[in-house]
Amino acid sequence: MTMLSRHHLARSIATLFVILAILGGIYALWQRYQVDPVTRDGKVRADMVPVSADVAGLVTEVRVVDNQSVRKGDVLFVVDRPRYQLALEQAEAALMNKRASLSQSVREDRRNSAVREVIAAETVEQGLTRTYELRAEVAQAVAARNLARFNLERTLVRAPVDGVVTNTTLQPGVYVVVGKPALALVYGKTLRVEGYFEETKLPAIQVGDQASIYIMGVADEIHGRVHSIAGGIEDRERGGTDGQYADVKPSFDWVRLPQRIPVRIEIESKPANVRLIPGQTATVVIHPRADASKIHRSLPW
Amino acid sequence: MIEEIHFGGIYVPAALATAVLSGVLVYVVRAPMQRMTFYRLLWQPALFDLAVFILLWWGLSAGADLTSHFWFMS
Repeated sequence: MTMLSRHHLARSIATLFVILAILGGIYALWQRYQVDPVTRDGKVRADMVPVSADVAGLVTEVRVVDNQSVRKGDVLFVVDRPRYQLALEQAEAALMNKRASLSQSVREDRRNSAVREVIAAETVEQGLTRTYELRAEVAQAVAARNLARFNLERTLVRAPVDGVVTNTTLQPGVYVVVGKPALALVYGKTLRVEGYFEETKLPAIQVGDQASIYIMGVADEIHGRVHSIAGGIEDRERGGTDGQYADVKPSFDWVRLPQRIPVRIEIESKPANVRLIPGQTATVVIHPRADASKIHRSLPW
Repeated sequence: MIEEIHFGGIYVPAALATAVLSGVLVYVVRAPMQRMTFYRLLWQPALFDLAVFILLWWGLSAGADLTSHFWFMS
């Protein structure tokens, strides 16, 4: 009898231990894969600066090739310089014309005022008015000449920032219009990684946390720091614009996924040979600080 | 941390890979385990198989994480 009950007790304890081991293992796996702030959904990003011409015309010269690094102020391409040179000459000639008229008018006024007694007052006044008008026309012509000079300067399209020219197919002979981007620069200084974290993982992340970044296919670790968390994301349940009633979708998903919030990671150090190209996929691992557990998370953990 | 493993260009979560691996390992060690006296002590022997599977799954994941600073484990 005692043998049997002892056997029963041992059996119960052993079974209990095994069940505890199962539960502990499940908890550890859950922590590792569902709670720890880790995402495979990260991207290398950099701001892109579209470069457009400020003057319209045929592109006469392209001074960069695809994927070339440029410094701020470098000439990227040249728009129809001869035409704008001619426009400047035209404006200069117009200015000379106006100046000649003005000096003639000034001479006439001087003569008229010398012999005021024999000339009708009306003629003197008309002459003076003509001089004032011509002064204004000269000022106008000066402004037009300066504008033509400015336009000529703007035919050299320069890089607005340090960066890398990308995806450019611009060739001489292409007609560019004002304000339409002709090529794009990747602004190297803004290179960063953005991790798209499920909103359930967000309570564990704080600005300033250390982060490890792994680019797809590269084993070397890139060190980063949480720079900021997105200020907002699109509300997909709601349509309508400002000044209208709220248009909330009547359907609601019974089974749904947490949304993802972009977390911006600034790169602190990276192995020299690892190249970061905007658009690359990255895995982001955040190392939460000890004081991060103040927020009460909803179960299951 | 190892988050994904690729086979011929298809990336799968590391959790799936470690789960498959530990499943295979449990299948292999099941026969030797069944010869242990401890096994007869259990109310349901399959519970022990399950425990071994879960602990292996977790152990493989954690082990991979610990060694992932080596270039060959990432």
